Amino acid sequence: METIIEVRDLTKIFMARRVKITAVDHVSFEIYKGEIFGMIGPNGAGKSTIFAMLTTLVRPTGGSIKVAGLDVNRNAEKIREIIGVVPQQHSLYPDLTARENLELMGNLYDVPKKIMEERIKYYLGLVNLKTHADRLTGGFSGGMKQRLSVISAVIHDPEIIFWDEPTTGLDPQTRQAIWKLALKFNKEGKTLIFTTHYMDEADKLCNRVAIMNAGKLMALDNPDSLKKASNSTSLEEVFIHLTGEEIRD
Amino acid sequence: MKMNLKTELRKSWIIMIKEFRQIIRKKAFMIPMFMFPIIMIIFFGYGMGGTVKNADILIVNDDTGTASGSIIREIGSFIPRYGDPRMFSVTYTKDLSQNEAERKIDAGLYKAVLIIPSDYSERVAKNESVTLTLLTDSSDTTSSGLIINFMRQLFSGTTGSHVLLKIPDIYGKLQYIDFLTPAVIALTVFFGTIQTMGYAIAGERQDGTLVRIMMTPVSRGAIILGKTLHQLVLQLARAVVLILAAIVLFGVTMNGSWLLVALVLIIFTFGAVGLGMAISAVSEDMLSFQAISMLVAFPSMFATGVFYPLSSAPDWMRWIAYIVPLTYANDAMRTIMIKGQGLGSIAHDLIILIFFGIFYFALGVYLFRREA
Ligand SMILES: Nc1ncnc2c1ncn2[C@@H]1O[C@H](COP(=O)(O)OP(=O)(O)OP(=O)(O)O)[C@@H](O)[C@H]1O
Ligand SMILES: [Mg+2]
Repeated sequence: METIIEVRDLTKIFMARRVKITAVDHVSFEIYKGEIFGMIGPNGAGKSTIFAMLTTLVRPTGGSIKVAGLDVNRNAEKIREIIGVVPQQHSLYPDLTARENLELMGNLYDVPKKIMEERIKYYLGLVNLKTHADRLTGGFSGGMKQRLSVISAVIHDPEIIFWDEPTTGLDPQTRQAIWKLALKFNKEGKTLIFTTHYMDEADKLCNRVAIMNAGKLMALDNPDSLKKASNSTSLEEVFIHLTGEEIRD
Repeated sequence: MKMNLKTELRKSWIIMIKEFRQIIRKKAFMIPMFMFPIIMIIFFGYGMGGTVKNADILIVNDDTGTASGSIIREIGSFIPRYGDPRMFSVTYTKDLSQNEAERKIDAGLYKAVLIIPSDYSERVAKNESVTLTLLTDSSDTTSSGLIINFMRQLFSGTTGSHVLLKIPDIYGKLQYIDFLTPAVIALTVFFGTIQTMGYAIAGERQDGTLVRIMMTPVSRGAIILGKTLHQLVLQLARAVVLILAAIVLFGVTMNGSWLLVALVLIIFTFGAVGLGMAISAVSEDMLSFQAISMLVAFPSMFATGVFYPLSSAPDWMRWIAYIVPLTYANDAMRTIMIKGQGLGSIAHDLIILIFFGIFYFALGVYLFRREA
């Protein structure tokens, strides 16, 4: 299998009010081209921080990251052209309409106007937002915002897609719609990397799952092998087994 | 920075258009933004620049004859409007040099000193022209403007001889509103830029959208440039609307060149954009942005001679004024709009503004980049 993302010895230390926080602690792994790669772990495990570094938003304290053969420190802008990101927090312009939000993204990625209009029409239909295209997104429900966020990250047809908790707080219908999108992108040969707190979701969608805890990578394999290795019947059991039972802050 | 210039400019343009879309939808923000300076001119212009009551005037009467008596009586009893108190409260003296008189004005003892020469009666009798000297406290534009107007009227009514009024150090009929308006425009641009910059950066960070566009292939430079262009266009448009409104509504004088006004405002806006960016970068959210920007903006409103000339401010306040760019923008705007002067007269202000502009812009860009 062809490696598309290569992470070596990745470390991130935050300084928050003179306190050192090791958010990511010497993590190494690969992501293969065309797979659905899941990342799970308790709150504060470092998932979003890894995402921020993979998507060139945050500079690593140590280690190296190569995305499609490009180094994140040296080729950030080139990497940004081939990735699409849905951050953990909604990040739509509340005072722009759904269409304007999508057009802004398309323009920033230099998508030709005609192709962009076609894609916008197609994706709005796909996530059932066609009738709301010209409403300001400030008045959207959580689910509508999430569906819009998801498609605004693919308007430039990226090779690699990052979704940080795409289904948190959504109703079953919206979750299923998002799963469908995930499978569709997978079929098109795109690499999809996402985080989730729903074990069934990881189990169902992912080719491979990475389990993080307190900045460290605890395990990485396909869901079935993970279950077998720890004699568990569900991914949830594996998760608790590897990350313990106490609640994190 | 490996992208070429054309791409950078195109992306800046995209960002600028987006900013305009957003701001135009913010009616609750746009309307006050245009109303604020007009309200300020109305309230301060008319509230503070009304009539003068009981202004202390010193008449130095060196006249050896009696012809000056009638003028003196008229000044002493002048009542500007029906029912109002007397305009002047007059003190008389003799043998006071112009220097000594100026010192009395400096000390704030009198708003004006009128010096009647010793040969006044003699010359009037011979129908020769005679020159009186009027010194006014030009730091108080309200009083000095009205006193000068009054004296002019008084002497133009004197029959027979030519009575000339010599008024040292005054720019003609300056009214408070003329004095106020150019500075209110500079102040408005300053406040407006900082406010909208805060909305455009701290607000966008709070919404999470700043992070979002930083993940796209847009350089930090293009984001900054787009937001800066938006500010320049917005603030210039605002200044033009305000100047026109001031001319139409209040009959404010615009003696100078619109191009120079634009030049001053563009340079000034650059600095303000930088300052707004710097404040945004160090504040966590919109609320703290508001607090910090008030702290920065409010003193500059009073310390930079928007409402009264700097010369009448206490020393420590003048020192603050020297380090606040608004001071120089005010001066340049007044020099252009009131005195109608050209580039030469505002060159020193412009140089200082350019220096401030570069400094604040660099600081803003540095803090903005560091944060990202
Ligand atoms: N900008 C920052 N400054 C300081 N500390 C940070 C920052 N970002 C993250 N952290 C810390 O790094 C650690 C990892 O956070 P991160 O957001 O990556 O966790 P996560 O796995 O995404 O958690 P969740 O499941 O709750 O989203 C946490 O302890 C967090 O407090
Ligand atoms: Mg997270």
